[in-house]
Amino acid sequence: MKLTINGITHQVEAEPDTPLLWVLRDELGMTGTKYGCGIAQCGACSVMVDDIVTRACVTPIESLENRRITTIEGIENDPVGKRVVAAWVKHQVPQCGYCQSGQVMAATALLKETPHPGDDEIAAAMVNLCRCGTYNAISAAIHDLAGDERTGQ
Amino acid sequence: MTKPANLLSPDTSLLTGAPVNLSRRRFLLLSAGTTAGAFVLGFGLPVGGARAEGLSGTMKPGTRVPAFLEIRPDNSVHLQSPFVEGGQGIFTAMAQIVGEELDADPAGFIVENAPAGSDYKVMGNGMRITGGSMSVRMSYSTMRRLGALARQMMLQAAAERLVAPVGELTTEPGRVIHGPSGRSIPYGQLAERAMDLPVPDPESVTLKDPGQFRWIGKPLARLDVYEKSVGKAIFAIDCRAEGMLYAAVQHAPRLGLTVGNVRNEDAVRAMKGVHSVHRLPGAVAVVAERWWSAKRAAEALQVDWREPGPESDVRYMPADFSTAAFSDLLANTPGSGQEAENVGDVAGALKNAHTVVSATYRSQYVNHAQLEPPSALARFNPDGTLELWIPNQAPEMFQADIARRTGLDPSRIIIHSPLLGGFFGRHFIYNTATPYPQAIQLAKEVGRPIKLIWSREEEFLRDTLRPMAAVRFRGGLDANGLPVALEAVTVCEGPTEGISGHKDGKIDPSAVEGLAGKAYAIPNHRIAQIYVKNPVMLGYWRSVGNSMNDFLYEAFLDELADKGGQDPYQLRLHLLRGNQRLSTLLQSVVDLSGGWKRGPFTATDGTGRARGIAMASPFGTETAAIAEVSIENGQIRVHDVWQSIDPGSIVNPAIIEAQVNSAVALGLSEVLLEEAVYKNGQPVARNYDLYPILPSDRMARVHVRIIESGAKMGGIGEPGLPAVPPAVANAVSRLTGQRVRSMPLSRHTFES
Amino acid sequence: MRKLLSVLLPVIVLAAAGVTWFATRVPSSPFDGVAGSQAPSPELIQRGEYIARLADCVGCHGSPDQPPFTGGLEMATPVGSIFATNITPDKETGIGNYSLADFDRAVRHDVARDGHHLYPAMPYPSYAKLSDDDVRALYAYFMHGVKPARHANKASDIPWPLSIRWPLAFWSALFMDHGSHHEQPSENAVWNRGAYLVQGPGHCGACHTPRGLAFNERALDDSNPLFLSGALLDGWYAPSLRGDPNRGLGRWSEDELHQFLKTGRNRHAVVFGSMTDAFNNSTQFMTDEDLRAIAHYLKSLPGDPRRDGPAWHYDPKSNDTLALNARLKTPGAQTFLAKCSFCHGADGRGQGQWFPPLAGAASLMARENASSINVTLNGSKRVVADGIPDAYRMPPFREQLSDRQIADVLSFARSSWGNNGEPVKPEEVKHLRESTDPANSSVIILHMR
Ligand code: FES
Ligand code: FES
Repeated sequence: MKLTINGITHQVEAEPDTPLLWVLRDELGMTGTKYGCGIAQCGACSVMVDDIVTRACVTPIESLENRRITTIEGIENDPVGKRVVAAWVKHQVPQCGYCQSGQVMAATALLKETPHPGDDEIAAAMVNLCRCGTYNAISAAIHDLAGDERTGQ
Repeated sequence: MTKPANLLSPDTSLLTGAPVNLSRRRFLLLSAGTTAGAFVLGFGLPVGGARAEGLSGTMKPGTRVPAFLEIRPDNSVHLQSPFVEGGQGIFTAMAQIVGEELDADPAGFIVENAPAGSDYKVMGNGMRITGGSMSVRMSYSTMRRLGALARQMMLQAAAERLVAPVGELTTEPGRVIHGPSGRSIPYGQLAERAMDLPVPDPESVTLKDPGQFRWIGKPLARLDVYEKSVGKAIFAIDCRAEGMLYAAVQHAPRLGLTVGNVRNEDAVRAMKGVHSVHRLPGAVAVVAERWWSAKRAAEALQVDWREPGPESDVRYMPADFSTAAFSDLLANTPGSGQEAENVGDVAGALKNAHTVVSATYRSQYVNHAQLEPPSALARFNPDGTLELWIPNQAPEMFQADIARRTGLDPSRIIIHSPLLGGFFGRHFIYNTATPYPQAIQLAKEVGRPIKLIWSREEEFLRDTLRPMAAVRFRGGLDANGLPVALEAVTVCEGPTEGISGHKDGKIDPSAVEGLAGKAYAIPNHRIAQIYVKNPVMLGYWRSVGNSMNDFLYEAFLDELADKGGQDPYQLRLHLLRGNQRLSTLLQSVVDLSGGWKRGPFTATDGTGRARGIAMASPFGTETAAIAEVSIENGQIRVHDVWQSIDPGSIVNPAIIEAQVNSAVALGLSEVLLEEAVYKNGQPVARNYDLYPILPSDRMARVHVRIIESGAKMGGIGEPGLPAVPPAVANAVSRLTGQRVRSMPLSRHTFES
Repeated sequence: MRKLLSVLLPVIVLAAAGVTWFATRVPSSPFDGVAGSQAPSPELIQRGEYIARLADCVGCHGSPDQPPFTGGLEMATPVGSIFATNITPDKETGIGNYSLADFDRAVRHDVARDGHHLYPAMPYPSYAKLSDDDVRALYAYFMHGVKPARHANKASDIPWPLSIRWPLAFWSALFMDHGSHHEQPSENAVWNRGAYLVQGPGHCGACHTPRGLAFNERALDDSNPLFLSGALLDGWYAPSLRGDPNRGLGRWSEDELHQFLKTGRNRHAVVFGSMTDAFNNSTQFMTDEDLRAIAHYLKSLPGDPRRDGPAWHYDPKSNDTLALNARLKTPGAQTFLAKCSFCHGADGRGQGQWFPPLAGAASLMARENASSINVTLNGSKRVVADGIPDAYRMPPFREQLSDRQIADVLSFARSSWGNNGEPVKPEEVKHLRESTDPANSSVIILHMR
């Protein structure tokens, strides 16, 4: 079947019940999306499907034909994603970095839905786990973006 | 079109394990300067242990400049770090330290983990371990000297080029300056010649006066942040090699069981994408074209597990083991223990005490739960070498272990150490708890490179655990309510003896750290350990023994304070009188929190709150923390944590602040939520579903104050943790009037 | 079909007033006097093995870490635990000394060889309908197809006098429909085969038919509209298998029903709770013909609009409550988005057959909310279809969500997308939290060989 990822269409051979995560990582060699739990508990595998944050480990590719998939590899092609990355660098968010592809995805999806989220909205959207405990830095980076007029573009 | 997995750009090929034409690369390296783009200083790149070994010999570790540094014509500085990066910021710190003395801006450094080789055993004790919060403090002067030596080589090369005496030359960041003529040459243009020069005598260079530091001590931005924000950072789980197959395992449900009949072996072998099925010690593996196929097939295996025979040399997990029963067994094991510390006359002082307080405190098993599941990529090369990409905290130790397992000479074993997706002590040599022995066996049996990944479930089944302990405390108070005696007998197996074996009559320092060595002036005290072997594999966990013992001790100290009618802050100050460093530290955290305000009090949002205070002395650093808590829907909410940390002297305050944040998160996670429970010999939790780790909505605001007392440099990665759990527990006890003697708090019930 | 005895006490008290002679007589069997078996044909043994699959014998008499059919499954009851027995042909600890008539009396008449009455944890009200042929085949299988294995039975820990068994005779006299299954001449052969499988060996009613005060199934066949109309048992609500569109199979086609029993999943649902065991050990092994017969028969059972209410239709409006600002004001909506939506879809529609929809799910519309609470607290066991474990499983949330949070998120799901279930109360969650354990995430296979 065909998958459109970061604007490029790929023909993939995996079975329809295969999680998008493993098609990305093993078949397409896109390892920026991470495996942490495989059961939608951690968020390390977050990608966007039609701009909605989606956990790739519990998304069988069957449902993805004709959908627009954005992975961390394509994040800077998205104007909002690019700003999120810049804020991540400015606030020095990552530690080990393993959860951060997913965190950046979740933040980008949030800001695409609501350019100026309030405290509660940020808390409600940023539910991915980080074992290194970068939560305060994540929240600072998003607050910074939330107050930034250009975020909505 | 499907993009083949091996279509990688040449730049990433080394990191990702795509095939590297070693001989060509070596040629390039050896004939540096003859090929465009190959102006290199030394070999720098991980061409393998053989070369590193070959090059060592008589030079002192940390002095062979070419083994560490490569400076390219674009002035970028490539540094081989002796320590692995796992989020603690060590690559940046190393760049700061080397860059300071080399006089090259650390921001232009490209750092990766050095291969195994004796050149890299730069720690003062001749070892190379990323752990124990030792990296910077144990290598600080060696790495500075390395930078200074490299700078000296640049000066010499420039002196030749400019035909000027070295004495007339100085440096500015990234270049050599000839003052009299005003000429300057960038390092990138000198590297070619500098490589030909012998490394100067290490004693011949002088290190900078700290007053002159340009980068050390400054909050420099980390070097790896951008790559980690865009998914480009490469972890072991991301590495690939041409022609590799994937593997997944099904472990025996209990440690020690062995593989019997595999009932459906043929059916599993016939599953789509499956290459082969393999019997491993205590596990069965499936090798497949894709990991997802391997994992599903491994789960499908119907294995008859057998009880071990007498020849088994791994720990045996009995079918009736439960953590609840084991915790009771620890608490009720009689004896007075082997002494770690005995000052004064505890028995006498307790006898004469006005009040005696006795209590048993307990700690729980905890998992590492680092977010990256363990993996190993193993490849046998045509030249007979074995190449591995594995998460590890000590390449030479892993090399030696693999040599022992395979019979290969260590020089034929090449270790790559990719970034660690969190470690917290997870990646040491833990016999059955690590995937590389399996990957090696599979690569050998299959004849192709094997990438083995443990699913999260298999990881939780085999993870090593932070030990459980029961500590029997007795405290004696005088008529004024001040402690005159304290005894702590811990019943546990320490992580070090758990890993390396228990020696009769010896105590394990890692079992008592945080109980022993306390600075409080309690005239009579006795700290002892009773050894009880565990059926689980034990491991180091961030801040090791301190992660539990400071909770146990500091919470009991509050219990003593309460019984004696003392304020816990004032009592600590009193017990530290005359200790300038710790009194200052304690006062500073109180100051940071806006003054001591124990509560209970009502916050502006109407919630009832209280604060708790605690101290710890982990890994050569001193810490003090205050936590403010309330109760929300029967759960503890920690609003703020203030922490003062005195590591003596520092390299990067921004990294320290980030590390304290991180350690606070883990400390909160441990005290609020975590417990690895076993029932019927098996862990109840095999994933984050039943083993919750701190989520974002339970994180506290963190306020950090760094104190540079000038004392001997201490560690950074772990010390921020141990004072947090007791500060929280003490706050909760204050708020609820309910004494907290065990973690996690989620097992206690609190009324809102 | 586990732990059937939650209301055993009144039964025993009731029966204890009875007359002893009745209780101690041994029922007759058509096989009385039939000579001991010569070695049966392999075909008969194989047929018997299939009957054992239909009847899911291994579900109770098997245990993952014991030899097949040596029993051991614990069934908790309010008065103590009982344990499934060894039914291998071992002479000392199993049924090696059973004649065909003894075997028949145990399977169809609730009386063991030594004359003691069996607890109705054994679904003999259903097994009573087994045909003589099937009993003969089953006997051949257990005597010759199952390896004898010594494994002592565990005594029940029900205390005296509740442990006295003879009063159970009155229970079976009152509530069993002795005598084998009767064909309905007005229906075709497929229907009749389906009726036999459902009422007899399949013992579907043991979970899906409501029970009376004496723990009796209130109907044993389709002559009563309560038959298979949904029942609460052991912390799970087994939904209606009748034509009810909300709480039953009204919206399922025969093909979908067949697919469900064969593969454990279809676009409406994935097996969970006790049905996982029934699927893993029994229904997937049934022949296509038998599955079609079951589907055909079940689809013939009418629903009851008075009980089931107006038929469900998808209502997209509730998706608005999931917008970022709205979901913070709707209890449960945030939890749904953070914990449930990634698998079940933010629109509640699930993902194909891999993740079941919550929109229109029977367990979210049934008045009895136990299943939805239970699966949220404890997750689901692994579904193993054709030897291959499921790719995706429901994780347990008991360690992550409070009683209040689970009540809120379920109340949200029960009132969204057109679902019309009543709200869930935190006390209900608390009760189940205390009386249940999380599902094992490991693959468990009960072997018959
Ligand atoms: S790997 Fe997908 S949520 Fe953890
Ligand atoms: S940065 Fe390490 S897990 Fe988040």
